[in-house]
Amino acid sequence: MSQVFHDIEKKILVTLQKVPNQTPEQLSINTELSIDQVRRGIEWLRLKDLAIVDESQKITFSLGLNGLDSLKNGLPERKLINMLKDEPKTFDQIRSALSGAGFNVAIANAKKNGWIKIEKNNSDSLVSIKEKPIETPEEKLLSLIGENSITQEEVTNPLAMKILLSRPNYIIQTSEKLKTISLTDAALSLDTSISSSGAIDVEAEVPSIFAARTHPLQDTIDEIREIFVNLGFSEILGNMTQSSFWNFDALFTPQDHPARELQDTFYLENLESKNPATLSQIKNVSSSHNKNWKYDWKLSESQKMVLRTHTTCVTIKHLAEQKPENARIFSLGRVFRNEKVSYKHLVEFNQIEGIVIGNNTTLRDLMGIQKEFYKKLGLTKIKFWPTFFPYTEPSLQTMVYNEKLGKWIELFGMGIFRPEVTKPLGIDKPVLAWGGGIERIAMLKYELDDVREFYNNNLSWLRSA
Amino acid sequence: MPVVELNINRIRKLVSGNVTRKQILDVLPFLGLDIESEVGDEIRIEYSPNRPDYSTDYGIATGLQGLLGIKKGIQKTYIKKKGKFAIKVDSTVTKIRPYLTGIVATNGKLDDVAIKQLMNMQEDLHFGIGRKRKKSSIGLHDADKISFPLTYTTVSREHKFTPLNSSTEQSIDEILANTEVGQNYGYVIGDSKNVPIIFDSEQNTISFPPIINSALTTVTSNTRNILIEVTGIDKEATEDMLSVVVSILQTAGFEFNELKITGNKNSTPQLKEKIMIYDPKFTSEIIGIEMSPSNMVTCLKKCRLDASVKGKKITCVIPRYRFDIFSPMDLTEEIVLGFGIANIEPKLSPSTTIGQKNDVTIKTKLISQTAVGLGFLEAMNSSLTSKKVLYEMTKRDSSEIISVLDSKSQEHKILRDSLLPSLLDNLSKNIHESYPQKLFETGVVFSKGKPIHESINLAVIIAYKDTNYSEIKAIMQSLLRTNFKINSETKTSKNNELFSIGRHADIFVNENKIGEIGEIDSNILENFRIRTSVVGFEIKLSGLIFD
Repeated sequence: MSQVFHDIEKKILVTLQKVPNQTPEQLSINTELSIDQVRRGIEWLRLKDLAIVDESQKITFSLGLNGLDSLKNGLPERKLINMLKDEPKTFDQIRSALSGAGFNVAIANAKKNGWIKIEKNNSDSLVSIKEKPIETPEEKLLSLIGENSITQEEVTNPLAMKILLSRPNYIIQTSEKLKTISLTDAALSLDTSISSSGAIDVEAEVPSIFAARTHPLQDTIDEIREIFVNLGFSEILGNMTQSSFWNFDALFTPQDHPARELQDTFYLENLESKNPATLSQIKNVSSSHNKNWKYDWKLSESQKMVLRTHTTCVTIKHLAEQKPENARIFSLGRVFRNEKVSYKHLVEFNQIEGIVIGNNTTLRDLMGIQKEFYKKLGLTKIKFWPTFFPYTEPSLQTMVYNEKLGKWIELFGMGIFRPEVTKPLGIDKPVLAWGGGIERIAMLKYELDDVREFYNNNLSWLRSA
Repeated sequence: MPVVELNINRIRKLVSGNVTRKQILDVLPFLGLDIESEVGDEIRIEYSPNRPDYSTDYGIATGLQGLLGIKKGIQKTYIKKKGKFAIKVDSTVTKIRPYLTGIVATNGKLDDVAIKQLMNMQEDLHFGIGRKRKKSSIGLHDADKISFPLTYTTVSREHKFTPLNSSTEQSIDEILANTEVGQNYGYVIGDSKNVPIIFDSEQNTISFPPIINSALTTVTSNTRNILIEVTGIDKEATEDMLSVVVSILQTAGFEFNELKITGNKNSTPQLKEKIMIYDPKFTSEIIGIEMSPSNMVTCLKKCRLDASVKGKKITCVIPRYRFDIFSPMDLTEEIVLGFGIANIEPKLSPSTTIGQKNDVTIKTKLISQTAVGLGFLEAMNSSLTSKKVLYEMTKRDSSEIISVLDSKSQEHKILRDSLLPSLLDNLSKNIHESYPQKLFETGVVFSKGKPIHESINLAVIIAYKDTNYSEIKAIMQSLLRTNFKINSETKTSKNNELFSIGRHADIFVNENKIGEIGEIDSNILENFRIRTSVVGFEIKLSGLIFD
């Protein structure tokens, strides 16, 4: 059976059969593969005992700044000799011609080479040529390297190299690891042309693509809606724009209540509902307000149009119109608060609210539905605390333990509609209500700490969430 | 929700010596109080606006004593009848601020922490039941600086006195113009020529309700006797407010002396308890637990109410400051609190109804599924948007604009009448992301009707360099054919600045126009800084796939 070779392997084998011992870089040029592909191919061949990888260190030398200067103008000692060609010179004269450290180096090396003699005068020393200066091994080495680089093997006089290396900035020594790839005997005799192929580089990187998807917040909304339906609740829809009558008055919120003010509620400019409710509904609600809150209820206040501040206005209107004997219904949708937008507050968010009327309408039942709801969301550590809502009594809130945050988080609220809410609308039985904001739950699910992310429609998040 | 700052050691002392820190922290939530933060011994607590008595540690301590079983039942308030304290209400106040009530708290002592808490309590009361001081407002005064009897009357705006926290005399007009309280609450007085004022018998100004007290009667830690006066436009509301302050000062150790009030429909407050007789069966039915009437009585007493069983009924005595209790339902809540919510076992009864999604939800979801199948990512944008995105950058007709009043956010002022502008805005914020970008959104749009019409729209948008009209038309027709078998056609339409000339159309189904489709005009794309081709369409789903 012939071996199956990847195209990359095949190209490397063929190239090495022609020219043995190549570096990966050479192979990359000769095979026209990327360096990463070559490296992968070599690794595969090595594992199959077809390629041998020799690792060695390659040391090369080239000239540094001083070396290059000397190549052009001569070493400092040579410069000195050239100056002395015509006549001897004093230290002062030499010093002014050879600036800086050059002076000491030139004198020391020329003396060591036996090129000069120094006579001391009263004030200065006089330098003159002693014998004819011949080319030194260092100078030969400098010309050998020239403007290129040479390998260690090419260095003819190691002692001269040692001397030059000891002088600053003359020689730059670099070392790199070198891989040489050669083929084993088995590989050399392989006939790659008859081995089957068609294989591809299965480990190569591919471009990212993104799945089209529904919005993560919409997924959470759908999941919660599904749970409500499973718990026996039917969905009703209602408008986001509502009269103050249904948003506030029908829910027993007095007309001078701070929650009704512009700073908490969005009122619609120049829009009002002429007939927000039936005459008897208006009459009964108004007298409940007058009697219990002791103020003068005004129809005009109730006609002002608002963006609903909760979905309760939809459920209460449904109850008042349908007066069901036994029902579980829910309403889900956007609600609005005139707040400053921040990482924890939006002006517009989704709320769900379910109500139960008829059988099994005790506080224990309400708590039982909650517990089941959270269980279906995978939240099992819950407890109930008392709280206050203007239109329910008693009112509870659920606290859910979040393992990741290590603390209790307030989620849905619940309660029984106050008789002051239900009686004027002709509802005689107790009505259980429960619900809350959906973004809070979605934030836990997607581990977000900024609620605005849901509405930013940031593609990098939508594509990866 | 209002917030109160407490020191845990102070609370422990007020509740009783040997209650532990943990006991207090555990029980606070069961009074309906949320612990907002806890740093060392200082805790911040959110309380409900219906329980203003929880605005100080005195009130909270009273509640804790009940649930912890340390002290139960009502704290009875005794008011000494005889005394020198009196006030006469002049008929001139009738049109401005007709009612005044009050009392004198004696032989007590407040430290600086308590005074600070009382000031905060006043502000919370002013905001909540006082409706920003309009309905009722309080003033607390050092009674020893006052010569009784007092007069509640009106003065002209030229009248001068030295207001609280000031050392110089100022006229009423100056106070209204120059002080923060004057600027904030001057609206209550409006442009009335004369303003309410309280004088003592030596014609010293005591208070200028509902704006500011006089510096003369400043309450300090040396004050032993306090005059509490509450003025307002509703008699009941003024007494509500008074009763809360009395309950708090009573816990702080004060005694009470009557302030005799006469004149002009005003009368001396009695702060009488309310008696409510009710059938305990009602509570058992609401909670879902058979509970004996005597057990309920115990629960009510733990909530600092008084109660006794009489025959088959419970007689409950409710202190004046618990004006949040309207009906037996409120008493049921008190019983739940006294019993302890943690002691009520949740019960899952089988549902006798079958749940069902709304038709609109089901069909909108079908459309979304098809859009995802065609490779589109769902976007979600706010219904409240900005004029800039909705009309200016898209050069759309804004004659039917629907605005909200006084939005706190520039980006959320206008109700959208179309989904496409926000999708263009989404593309604009994602120009650094890889293309093609394909988005869709389904959502409610608003138009003026009776008074407002809401319908559900679908908008789809494609952005990349080679996209064109044919591609978006194919997408649009596929979306309507899949599941719904709706055949649509496109007809040349009159020019529209959103789209390129000659490259847009109206979408028709059965001779009815349901939307628009086309290549977005390059000027519009420039406004959104989008540097590639964009095509899109928007149709009204309401009336097409559901009613």
